[in-house]
Amino acid sequence: MQQIASQNAPSPRVVLPHFIFGGLALLAAVALTALHPDMLTGHYFSPRLLGLTHLIVLGWISMVIFGALYQLVPVVLEVRLYRESLAYAAFLLLALGAVVLATAFWHFDLGALMETGAVLAGGAIVCFAANIFATARRSVKTGLERDFIITAIIWLLFTVGAGITLAFNLRYAFLPVPHLELLKLHAHAGFAGWFLQLIIGVSSRILPMFMVSHGMNRKKLEWAYYLINGGLLAGIVSLYAQWPPGVQGGVAAGVGGVGFYLSFLAEAYRKRGKRQLDTGMQQSALAFVLLLVPVLLLLFFQWSRSLPAQATLAYGAAILLGFVTALIMGQTYKTLPFIVWLHLYRSKVGRGKTPMPRDLYHEPAAVWQIRLFAAGFAGLMTGVFLQRTVIIAAGGALLLAAVVLYNYNILLIVGHRPKKDDGTAPGGRDPKS
Amino acid sequence: MKIDLPPPATFTAMRKEKDNIADILRAVVDPELMVNIIDLGLVYDIRCDDPFTRIDIDMTLTSPGCPLGDVIVEDMEYRLFVHYPDTAVNIRLVWDPPWTPERLTAAGKAALGRA
Repeated sequence: MQQIASQNAPSPRVVLPHFIFGGLALLAAVALTALHPDMLTGHYFSPRLLGLTHLIVLGWISMVIFGALYQLVPVVLEVRLYRESLAYAAFLLLALGAVVLATAFWHFDLGALMETGAVLAGGAIVCFAANIFATARRSVKTGLERDFIITAIIWLLFTVGAGITLAFNLRYAFLPVPHLELLKLHAHAGFAGWFLQLIIGVSSRILPMFMVSHGMNRKKLEWAYYLINGGLLAGIVSLYAQWPPGVQGGVAAGVGGVGFYLSFLAEAYRKRGKRQLDTGMQQSALAFVLLLVPVLLLLFFQWSRSLPAQATLAYGAAILLGFVTALIMGQTYKTLPFIVWLHLYRSKVGRGKTPMPRDLYHEPAAVWQIRLFAAGFAGLMTGVFLQRTVIIAAGGALLLAAVVLYNYNILLIVGHRPKKDDGTAPGGRDPKS
Repeated sequence: MKIDLPPPATFTAMRKEKDNIADILRAVVDPELMVNIIDLGLVYDIRCDDPFTRIDIDMTLTSPGCPLGDVIVEDMEYRLFVHYPDTAVNIRLVWDPPWTPERLTAAGKAALGRA
């Protein structure tokens, strides 16, 4: 029989800690947002906001992406992960690096603490990149999903390199370009180069699979790939060269690329075989609606003469706490229960009554999580635009309630143990024995 | 030219056995879609020989690289083994023709909300 995907899956011990740590990091981040809403009423270049941002991008988003990729890359590339030991090392380094770096930014300690955090996070990313590149080298599979994933990791390495350079520039000021312009470069390499491309690469494979969609025009993904990378490259070079027309051209190309990607997803949705979207897919759909907020703001930035501080804050929050967070939360329900279920019940399927993957979490909690998240995000955006700390704090509290429910479900899934009567064999020896 | 056809009685018995196998496979459910593999149209062909020593099944998945593919195959193998312990079961995954939603049965369409 042809080899099929789950035979290449890594041990759950590699993947699960990433989801647990990521959930707790998000919990800490939204708690800080609710407790310190004034962070989101000043300039984006402020110590606490930089600390919060690094906790979110490293401790939550990158952490869960690392874990999910260890599970998904073997599916996409049809080959086993190169080294599980490298994945453990990357996890430990990233967990420590995220906490140390966020703390250093929060207290604006530009010395040894920040350098230690940068080295730890950088080491984690090098271990992760080496593991995925070595896995890809062993695979004979080619395709756009692979290109998106590999290119995303190259942009991740660039983002980290730029971040470390920025940290040193903050102390020694050796670069000729204003620091805030360089910060935009670092942030967009991370947003569009790492998060967005990674999301496109993985979601263009798994979302149609979950919706049972067939016959989409994959040329749209090729357009998305070339426009986003071309736009990003042009935008970053132009930012560094301080050439606004180049930046505007880069933004236009990038937004066009996102348009092609959204068009592909809309086609997959129209052609879906499964009409009813489950809870995980509903939250993922919400994420793509939220993506419109930063895309519209980005267009507004390029063609408006003034740049209100709250619009910049809303832009960052809409990407990190809106689109990316909603998508990861939604896709957690599509991946984590299956990882645990495969581990616990694979050998028992067909031999008696076993729970289904969706039985591993509390469905009403997941439904309320989406509602609270949507209300919290709306409150956060309103508070940021109106610069009202009370509304930001209320939005943060609703987000906190949503994330508590999310963590509750993660713990239910990860802590699930089979009941004694699950998978009772009806008798007979195993067909392979 | 002489063609060796099975006697009518054997032919009928094999037809009945194939139906029986399809009924057994109706208990195999895709854990993501919660629909059985017969109503999903994943099983392309069931062949059995005479005497009944071997079952060959050609099947596909809704998507190549589906992470649940081998769970489904193992579930099929076990259920057939319980019913036919002395018969070899050979399940072959095929991708041509690729699966499309047109292969869903009426019950499968209804289960996915397409009816």
